[in-house]
Amino acid sequence: MEERTVVASAQWASEHGRVGAGASLAAKVLGAAAALVLAAGLYLGLVVVPPDAVQGDVQRIMYLHVPSIVTAYVAFFVVFCTSVLYLWKRDLRFDAVAVASAEIGVVLTGITLATGSIWGKSTWGVWWTWDARLTLTAILFTIYVGYLMLRSFAEDPRAGARYGAVLAILGFLDIPLNHFAVYWWRTLHQPSSIIRPGGPSVASTMLVPLGINFAGLVLLSIYLLLERVRLERIRHRTIEVRLKRGRRG
Amino acid sequence: MGNWGFVGLAYGLASVALFSYLLLLKGRLRGAQEELAALERDSGRRTR
Repeated sequence: MEERTVVASAQWASEHGRVGAGASLAAKVLGAAAALVLAAGLYLGLVVVPPDAVQGDVQRIMYLHVPSIVTAYVAFFVVFCTSVLYLWKRDLRFDAVAVASAEIGVVLTGITLATGSIWGKSTWGVWWTWDARLTLTAILFTIYVGYLMLRSFAEDPRAGARYGAVLAILGFLDIPLNHFAVYWWRTLHQPSSIIRPGGPSVASTMLVPLGINFAGLVLLSIYLLLERVRLERIRHRTIEVRLKRGRRG
Repeated sequence: MGNWGFVGLAYGLASVALFSYLLLLKGRLRGAQEELAALERDSGRRTR
């Protein structure tokens, strides 16, 4: 690794005390808050809210499916912003947040695909169909899995960060395309019922568990992000110590 | 599979995915912390 990268790693990794220390109090509070909010959202969605008039109980999958994809979009938006900032400033802190957020986005998109597939089997009678919305979501998942693979295979971390940032920025274009796919093409997937002109089209009783689960997943994502960024700091500090040792011979 | 079977499968899979990621992350953190601590101990010994 080049000297510049080492200096940048050292500056970042050595800031704010010991990097090897446990999770911060803020992270612990966020983790506990996320667990409480998600528990409340699950209770409302699975127990309190009545079944859908047309779909019945299987509609309860939506209280998980919709907040998962919206939170994944937020995570990928963070990847997009921090990737732009990394290319501009070449500061490894932005890269660390980008890679951490991409991992969380991939997990949430995977959950969206799995829960959507289960809902599709019960409602449409098939686990999968090559509908525009479903296909673009699968492409989104593949793009960011590819991003993580690119990052892990890169021998030079600075080159990995640079190529990753370009891929993340281009990959983000899939999200608006995915959102408008249900309007631009004839799809089996229903149009958006929350983020749409004229406001949400679902009953307010259903909006409450959706909103609470979204808040819970956002809190959980911030908690996971803090922990994942801490891992990056430890890795950078490890590289720094190794290189210092190497220089001393 | 009934309606609740699909609901249980969806929520169960999501819980497994989130818990697995959380546990994996904690394991990676623990491994990285141990590696760094060992390196720093070793470096300190060499400096002395």
